[in-house]
Amino acid sequence: MVELFNTRKFMIKVEKLTKIFPGSGAKAVEDVSFTLEKGEIGCIIGTSGCGKTTTLKMINRLIEPTEGQIFVDENHSHTVDPISWRRKIGYVVQKAGLLPHMTVKQNISLLSTILEKDQSYITRRVRELMSIINLPYDEYQERYPSELSGGQQQRVGIARALMEDPPIMLMDEPFGALDPVTRNSLHSEFWDLNQKLHKTILIVTHDLTEAFKLGDLVILMDQGKIVQKGSKEDFLKRPANKFVEEFVKGEGLV
Amino acid sequence: MYRALILIILVNIFSCLGHAKRPIVIGSKKFSESIIIAEMVSILLEEKYQTSVVRKFSLGGTKVAFDALKLGAIDIYPDYTGTGYVMILKMDGERDPQKVHQIVSREFKSRYGILWSKKIGFNNTYALAVRGDDQRFKNIDRLGQLSGIVESYQFASPHEFMERKDGFDRFSKTYNLNFQKDHILSIESGLMYAAIHNKQTDMIIAYSTDGRIKAYNLKIIKDDLNYFPPYQAALLANKKSTESFPEIMKAFSEFENLISENEMVEMNDQVDRFKKAPYDVARNFLIKKNLISGKIVNKTEESNLFKYFYSKKDYLLKLLLEHLLLSFGALGMALLVSIPIGISLTRHESLAKVVFPIINTIQTIPSLALLGFLIPIMGIGFAPALIALFLYSLLPIIRNTYSGIKGVDKNYIEVSKGIGLTGTQILLKVEIPLALPIILAGLRTAAVIVIGTATLAALIGAGGFGDPIFRGVATVNSNLILLGAIPSALLAIFTDKCIGQCEKIFVSKGIRLKN
Ligand SMILES: Nc1ncnc2c1ncn2[C@@H]1O[C@H](COP(=O)(O)OP(=O)(O)O)[C@@H](O)[C@H]1O
Ligand SMILES: [Mg+2]
Repeated sequence: MVELFNTRKFMIKVEKLTKIFPGSGAKAVEDVSFTLEKGEIGCIIGTSGCGKTTTLKMINRLIEPTEGQIFVDENHSHTVDPISWRRKIGYVVQKAGLLPHMTVKQNISLLSTILEKDQSYITRRVRELMSIINLPYDEYQERYPSELSGGQQQRVGIARALMEDPPIMLMDEPFGALDPVTRNSLHSEFWDLNQKLHKTILIVTHDLTEAFKLGDLVILMDQGKIVQKGSKEDFLKRPANKFVEEFVKGEGLV
Repeated sequence: MYRALILIILVNIFSCLGHAKRPIVIGSKKFSESIIIAEMVSILLEEKYQTSVVRKFSLGGTKVAFDALKLGAIDIYPDYTGTGYVMILKMDGERDPQKVHQIVSREFKSRYGILWSKKIGFNNTYALAVRGDDQRFKNIDRLGQLSGIVESYQFASPHEFMERKDGFDRFSKTYNLNFQKDHILSIESGLMYAAIHNKQTDMIIAYSTDGRIKAYNLKIIKDDLNYFPPYQAALLANKKSTESFPEIMKAFSEFENLISENEMVEMNDQVDRFKKAPYDVARNFLIKKNLISGKIVNKTEESNLFKYFYSKKDYLLKLLLEHLLLSFGALGMALLVSIPIGISLTRHESLAKVVFPIINTIQTIPSLALLGFLIPIMGIGFAPALIALFLYSLLPIIRNTYSGIKGVDKNYIEVSKGIGLTGTQILLKVEIPLALPIILAGLRTAAVIVIGTATLAALIGAGGFGDPIFRGVATVNSNLILLGAIPSALLAIFTDKCIGQCEKIFVSKGIRLKN
């Protein structure tokens, strides 16, 4: 708890996070701790089923942790109701998760509409975000998700998370469903974008290239536990164990 | 149009409240004779006693009419001593017409507070009839002669005969009529005569006053064991009604021995074969008997269907209003109730396991039976019909709301929650819009069911397009049947299309594109 009063401002901090789903003996997530400071990008990586999504959902309080502490923007999860908690966090999911019955504009402005922001603000903000994600407003705002390509959907998903300008973003395999070319260009766009926005971002991915490219902090998980966390350098030069070495090698990055 | 609507509502309110200034409500069962007699009573009360009268004709059978009378939902209807004796009192043994009349008069008064008039004059008993030219029956005059030899014959009887105590089972046992099970047909009485005439059946249980016995040259086989009790026609009235309307008893006294058997046969024939309106036939008769004054009307019905419909336009409008009020009233109520129920069931699975079997069961109750259950509670007319239709429209809407909402992709819900929507916001902004096509499909099903089933409402005096259909079937009048059938079918199609249009308006283009 001493760390809580550190002078350096942390935006996401989890301590000894553990999740056991009811009816299952195994720990889906076990003893996960890490900290992200303001403006940092963290990447959780690991094979399918290792507990990445569960960790992310616990931070967004979609899943109640069995044990452990969560702090976001220096607030403890117990002190804030879950609805306001989530509204402060931009949330991007696999395959964008756009609502099919809403237009691009309606999807992006969903939270603002709920918060009853006025229309002129909404239009201005949606225009702004759509120019950031490189989708011309006039051409795309009235389209439905089914009329967009996968890459375009993913960008709209990111714009939606940014709508109320949250200090923190949680992203679950945001580029997972895309072809390599689109993914690469989105990586670059995204990187440039955050140079301007300075959001604290936690990205879940199963693509090590992505993690190394975007992450200030890379967190490798296996079977619910953190195997190693650190920078790209740490992973390449100081792999914690054989598993990490194999994992990095398997991805063809060495 | 508004005036008709208000009138319908008022009539229903009045008949519910039993207000002193209300009109007298006259019922009838759904065959020509009953309708003609009921018309006569109505006309006499209207023209001679200057009372206002409401006609609730073509009620769905003895049980419906009798229950309605007992409850005061109707004040008068015609019936037969034998029916009262055997079917309602469940007695038997006596065959003397005078004595049977005495018994029913006494018992009905003490048991049910219902008064019988003196005999109208004619006896309309059941009679076994065959084709006069059917050589197989050439030498058969008595039912006793049929004992054990009818195995190869086809037999048809009215529905009611199949059910009553003195009906088919005991009848066939008494005379040892060994019909094969699949040779026995239960049929609308109005259609039975055409069936034997066209050789679709060999024997029918005819009504002895039916004009078609003579017209189709049918031969009556004599009831030599005196199996059937006397069926003297008479009028029944609720005692309470006679107290508030003294003219009822005055009118009753004028019916004593008013109609002979031949006269009744003739009038039935006028309606059944010559398509005269029961109203005209009844009125002409009263004029001939000097009970009212007026000019004899002798018009046969318009045979050109378009002109016929046009001539009935006021009646059609009244039917339309009744039908709309019933169907859309029921649908509206169901919509208000079913959607919240359907939604809450998705939230409480254990409740769903209890509720679905119940509403599934309601759905399987035959419409007429459901109406029958409701009569003792709510009487006859608009209210029980509305409730029955309401109950029928519950299932499709609840089921589709439930499965529509259940079927919404869990990812959309989780994502909305993740963005920060509350449960209610997710319901209103995500779940309902996504489930809407399925909910509307449920509404569509309910609408078609309700508009169709609403035709049965006529059987309990609630009017609507069923009214001409049942009277048409009873009097073998296909124009009259079409007068109800065509508009109700059009209404169903039209409503179906309208709800289809609603889908275009209310369902997001985004999900219509996807499918
Ligand atoms: N709602 C749940 N109920 C039970 N088990 C779950 C649930 N969600 C995930 N799990 C299990 O928890 C483990 C981690 O899942 P998840 O976090 O989705 O993995 P990842 O995102 O790394 O692929 C898996 O074994 C998965 O089967
Ligand atoms: Mg995952």
